[in-house]
Amino acid sequence: MTARLDLRAPCPDSGHRFDAGRRWVASLELGFAARRGATRMIRARHQGPLRVQRPFYPEGRDEACHVYLLHPPGGLVSGDALTIRARVEAGTRVLLTTPAANKLYRADSHGVAWRQHTELEVADGGVLEWLPQETIAFDGSWGEQATSIDLSGNARCLGWEVLALGRPASHLPYVSGRIEQRFALRRDGKPLWLERQPLDPRHPRFHGRWGQGGASVQATLWAVGLADGREAIEALREALPAGPRWAVTLRHGVLLLRYLGQERNAAWSLCEAAWRVLRPRLVGREAHPPRIWFT
Amino acid sequence: MHRGITTTSIGTLMPTESGSGQGDDLALLGLLQLVSPALPIGAFAFSQGLESAFELGWVSDEASLGDWLEGVLADGLTRCELPVLARLYAAWAEGDEPALVAWDRWLAANRETAELVAEDSRLGASLARLLGSLGLAPDAPELPAEAGHVTVFAWAARVRGIAPRQALLGFAWAWLENQLAVACKALPLGHTAAQQLVERVRPALVHAVDEALSLGDDELGPALPGLALASALHETQYSRLFRS
Repeated sequence: MTARLDLRAPCPDSGHRFDAGRRWVASLELGFAARRGATRMIRARHQGPLRVQRPFYPEGRDEACHVYLLHPPGGLVSGDALTIRARVEAGTRVLLTTPAANKLYRADSHGVAWRQHTELEVADGGVLEWLPQETIAFDGSWGEQATSIDLSGNARCLGWEVLALGRPASHLPYVSGRIEQRFALRRDGKPLWLERQPLDPRHPRFHGRWGQGGASVQATLWAVGLADGREAIEALREALPAGPRWAVTLRHGVLLLRYLGQERNAAWSLCEAAWRVLRPRLVGREAHPPRIWFT
Repeated sequence: MHRGITTTSIGTLMPTESGSGQGDDLALLGLLQLVSPALPIGAFAFSQGLESAFELGWVSDEASLGDWLEGVLADGLTRCELPVLARLYAAWAEGDEPALVAWDRWLAANRETAELVAEDSRLGASLARLLGSLGLAPDAPELPAEAGHVTVFAWAARVRGIAPRQALLGFAWAWLENQLAVACKALPLGHTAAQQLVERVRPALVHAVDEALSLGDDELGPALPGLALASALHETQYSRLFRS
């Protein structure tokens, strides 16, 4: 019994229960502020197995602060409750990413859910890029992934979530379980974008054309704070390969690009290409892909 | 999400048309007027992504149209417009301005694409203008700024003494008729086939209203990723008859 716990849970506050009340909590709270004109990580508090690497500045000392979020277990199992909070103060530019895909493992025999909440706050004049690598949901995974973005004043933010259901390479499609993905983006408390995506392979909407249309990969990219959103949309339509699997729109000042298909690589390349188009328009800097994406 | 907004008073009804038996008759006629395709607010110009679904080959005949309509009803209207209409109706009945503003914004923030946002605000503005010309505009509280269609519809139902449940049924009926009119024009779908689809979907409208009235605030939100994609693709569709 002890060995089993040691294997699965490196953090000292892990639950010893094996029923529906079990929760393994991990949280990470990051704060960024301007110091003498440069972005500094002024806070990194963690509980449980969530860490950050030392921030670095591949674009120059006074440019965006890049930070890798690490989750050594590499994925979520039943009962995991992850909370990631990042606050970006005025005049700072931050890029957050992850070194690997996040995995959502099959629920245990009790069907206990996991949850992952990401809360991003950007102050007036701040810029945050939230560019995690994709999430892979194993068959039978059960949980909720919620992302909330709270902006003040003229804060800018670009981010994405790429979600692949099942593992096609291993012929293990996503045929059971339930994942709910939620987004909430507010500016000065006013909701501009609210979305929920319940992913239940046994529900008619999973295969229905009004719903998922049988798509096993989906991506959602948002960008808010663009000076000229319409021009940005035209540039995206010009630069990205046309097709029925993705589309872009601008509503309430929030640019949304959505992909529904079967190809993880297509979804990822689309998001990366869109970022290359949008970044100069949003931040005034060319895209600088984190090296970790290529390792 | 909006924890401050309760739904306890959805069942209350305070008809503003006078007379007892006559009030019910006037309310019924008021509902027929409000959901009539002849209501001059321009609803006929919008397809809510359906025209794009035709173009993509997702909807191509009576059977696939029936599936699309039942899907959009179950995953869209049931979880979005209908329960929010009930909440907005209650907010008008109680003069609860913060709830009116909050639900109006909630609905706008849930609109997936530019065309769906535009449809909602244009229909809202047209209906508000029409009510103003009929001397039926609310005074206290006033309509929220740039109120969406459902918010204004809720007020119209309320001022006409239409019971909330009937208001929801009427809203769902108007949606169905409008979608079928789109299909008759653009698919094209025969008029008899359209009536056969009415027969098929009619019981689902009642079920949708029942379910809409049973949902809690945190269960709300449309789940229509395919429709959202279709609607965004419609922005660049080469040939189109409709504005959404």
